[in-house]
Amino acid sequence: MKLAQHQHLDVLVGEYMLGVLRGAARRRFERAAREEPAVAMRLRNLQREFTPRYSERIAVEVPAAGWKRLERELNLARHRAPWHSRLSFLRYWAVGTTAALLLGIALLALRGTTETTLTPIAQLAMKGAPPSVAAALSSDRRTLQLRAARPIVAGPLQSYELWVIPEGGAPLSLAVLGQLDGTLEVPEGHRRQLRKGAVLAISVEPAGGSPTGGPTGPVILTGAIS
Amino acid sequence: MLDEQEIRRLLLATAARDVDAFERLYRRCAPLLLGVAQRITRRRELAEEVLHDSFTRIWRAAETFDPFGAPVGWMTTIVRNRAIDVMETHDVARVDSYHAALDDKPEASLDQMFDWSSATEAGDALDQSRLRDFLRRCLGELPANERQSLVLAYEHGLSHGDLATHLAKPLGTVKTWIRRGMVNLRSCIDQCTGAAS
Repeated sequence: MKLAQHQHLDVLVGEYMLGVLRGAARRRFERAAREEPAVAMRLRNLQREFTPRYSERIAVEVPAAGWKRLERELNLARHRAPWHSRLSFLRYWAVGTTAALLLGIALLALRGTTETTLTPIAQLAMKGAPPSVAAALSSDRRTLQLRAARPIVAGPLQSYELWVIPEGGAPLSLAVLGQLDGTLEVPEGHRRQLRKGAVLAISVEPAGGSPTGGPTGPVILTGAIS
Repeated sequence: MLDEQEIRRLLLATAARDVDAFERLYRRCAPLLLGVAQRITRRRELAEEVLHDSFTRIWRAAETFDPFGAPVGWMTTIVRNRAIDVMETHDVARVDSYHAALDDKPEASLDQMFDWSSATEAGDALDQSRLRDFLRRCLGELPANERQSLVLAYEHGLSHGDLATHLAKPLGTVKTWIRRGMVNLRSCIDQCTGAAS
């Protein structure tokens, strides 16, 4: 059974926060908090309301060797080395080749996009406000372009996620974006959904995109495809 | 005072394998977290082990931290759970010797251990400081046995069984106090937030 449907979910969350949930019961709860968004959200909300803030008065001096031991046991030095010193001579060669190849692909892609013509398909706006982002689609539906009236850039903890909501269907993710301006490739399976009657929407998500596959944060902009 | 926004930033950078950020996170939070561990283990050397294990886990699990969640709360949970596990495996016979040392004044504990001040920080801190105020007030309104059970469990990591031994009450009674304490706290907070909005 999903823990999210547990009739005493709040009690379980409370017992977990208090620390009286032990052994297998705690492990089961922690797994659910990782895998079931509803449980994670409940935990997040209750933690917000019920976690007191520890006073600095209880802080105690930490042993001087504590950090050194962590550094040694976790082998943190390897994450500190500059990236180029971590590559052996042979891997340099491989990295060089890959970089050249990628550059070639990027140039091809650039040429491809400059040659296609883009047709405006939607104006995205906040509810009741004038449009702030325009969306245009290439004739082969492979390339979608977003143009913002003013720069809209996600904070360090957030990403924007662009969705297409087919008529009567569930939202499909098109891209995770750091800013609402630029050109992106439409995932192949979703190209035919970009048609009249569908809606484009942009939600705010945790950095890296929605953890659930559907929008979890507030939807800030929407626009119907015409 | 730990600045939640700063800690969140350091934790997210740690998830991206930024060792400098992880070191700053350690320097900033270890003293408080060691204090939390010591409340539960009551022994300095065990608390230091708990701190070490917890930071190992924080490094490894940083990428699972929910960026919208509470960063200090997330780390505290790791420390408390680790301390509870260590106590369960290391020192089964602790109960007798240790209960004598427990502070049985939940009111005093609450005010010594936690910071209820309404000092505000950046972001939605006004909301947070209001919630803290509600929480303190509602804890004060709980029946004494419910409050004592909740505070002892939270502060010292006592299990239902430990609590029953310590308070010399049947296990079922203690479980009920905890459960009822949480429900009462919840409805009190709901009333406060409802009334305030």
